[in-house]
Amino acid sequence: MSTPPVTAPLLSAKGLRLAFGGVKAADGIDLDVMPGEFLAIIGPNGAGKTTFINMSTGYLRPQAGSIEFDGQPILGLKPRAIVRRGIGRSFQLPQLFTEHTVLENAALAVASRLGPWSPLTPLLRPAWREEAMDLLERFGLAQVAESRADTLNEGARKLADIAMAVALQPRLLLMDEPTSGVAAAEKMQIVETLVRVLRQSGVTAVFVEHDMDVVARFADRVAVWSQGRIAALGPPAQVLADPVVQRDVIGISTHA
Amino acid sequence: MPSTIIEWFSDNGLLFGLALLDGLAYAALVFMVAVGLNLVFGVLRIVNVAHGSLFAIGAYTAASIGIFFASLGLPMWAGYVALVLSALLVGAVLGPLIEKLLLRRIYGHEDVLQLLVTFALFMILEDVQKLIWGVQPIMQDAPMKFLGTVDIPFGDDFIPFTAYQLFVLPGVAVATLAALAWFLRRTLTGRVIVAVTTDKEAATAMGIDAAKIMLLTFSFGAGLAALGGALASPTTSLVPGVGASTIVLSFAVVATAGLGQIEGAALTSLMIGLGRSIAVYFAPEFEVVVPYIIMVAVLLVRPQGLFGVLETRRV
Repeated sequence: MSTPPVTAPLLSAKGLRLAFGGVKAADGIDLDVMPGEFLAIIGPNGAGKTTFINMSTGYLRPQAGSIEFDGQPILGLKPRAIVRRGIGRSFQLPQLFTEHTVLENAALAVASRLGPWSPLTPLLRPAWREEAMDLLERFGLAQVAESRADTLNEGARKLADIAMAVALQPRLLLMDEPTSGVAAAEKMQIVETLVRVLRQSGVTAVFVEHDMDVVARFADRVAVWSQGRIAALGPPAQVLADPVVQRDVIGISTHA
Repeated sequence: MPSTIIEWFSDNGLLFGLALLDGLAYAALVFMVAVGLNLVFGVLRIVNVAHGSLFAIGAYTAASIGIFFASLGLPMWAGYVALVLSALLVGAVLGPLIEKLLLRRIYGHEDVLQLLVTFALFMILEDVQKLIWGVQPIMQDAPMKFLGTVDIPFGDDFIPFTAYQLFVLPGVAVATLAALAWFLRRTLTGRVIVAVTTDKEAATAMGIDAAKIMLLTFSFGAGLAALGGALASPTTSLVPGVGASTIVLSFAVVATAGLGQIEGAALTSLMIGLGRSIAVYFAPEFEVVVPYIIMVAVLLVRPQGLFGVLETRRV
């Protein structure tokens, strides 16, 4: 395994195309995600943002194009194989296993990374527990570690869900609307925690976001999705000031 | 009115007691099949119509091994080894074979296709059974004879009842229930199975090998059905069609209990087992319909089943 030069993109998508019937969810997507950056994806509903995440994580296969991760092609790999390569994801709705405690959820992710185990392996090994607890502390979730996942408020659920993804030690994390459903007052604090932990862990992040304040404050670059294409790409200050983006994207998506 | 009830009981008490005992033993068998069906549906999201065939094949295999052991001159208790061997064989050979060759190809397809495929499998397995074991009744009751009968005091009388049906069947069912509850809640693999049941995509995103979990769960469920059949084999002579009647009854149990509930499946098996057995003694003409009357009555009041929770669909 040769280490690519630091300037090489971590994720490189070229010419991705995917149509569902007549709807073009991806109509020639070219995107390079650079190591260490925080890339926000914005755009109206149905523009193909989640489709891009699904294609990058093996849940959907594009009809044309290529995706490379760390210089290696990943198209055609199963979601699990892509996770093992170092691409994690979180879903728009938190996918926590609701009848488990938050700690059990996190420990399950730790155990799943360390795998394989025998059928009678107990639920919580001390080492998993310790690592999971450490992770929850970094996310500010230590005080809810023993609570059942379905008792958390939306913000804590989102963080716990992302903590599980981070437990897998991904190099790239794709997050689908990490703040959707979170109360406005909580939002900034959640993203702040999230960004701090991800930066500390050296995780590169791509996140779909509807809140332009969050994008402006935390993203290194913004990609604007529109009808399966990237309509604009650049630093937030520049992209968000673009009158076309303001009219077509921000105007439409402020409701979310 | 109370005096007539007392009168009824003094006339029919013995019969009623026998119905309860029979029902208990029957419920234990139904539970073994229903809990496997429930587990398999939870993880694979496939209603396996052929689940009852695994019960039948388990029963036939146990009887054949038992007869073979007897021909070797082995002692009667070897019949119990035959029961366990049969369940292990079906679980470890037939289970993975069916999952890998057939079910794996239809995961996530339309319900109608899945039903047709597992129904076809059911028809095939029924014929395979007839090819191997013929249509003549087969009987191997060594495990039941080995333990003899117990006289159960009932009022002034005694009911002689086989120790096998009184202790072994309910005992195995209760042990299965406890072991399964422990396994699913207290072991990592158990939690992973629950995780795949709850959300396969999210479990996969965590790096869990969902395909392996599905194979494991199906084989385990097949083994449970076969163990149910093996346990039933000493109590009855085996004839073609035993699989069909079992599956229909366990569907009724699963629908009545609600999905994903193992304790619920146990209680419902008890309810339906007892209900059917009481009908056998007191209203034989209703024997076949009683389980479904219970099912319809429950589903009219609680469409999600007695213990089921309404699923919130994820987008």
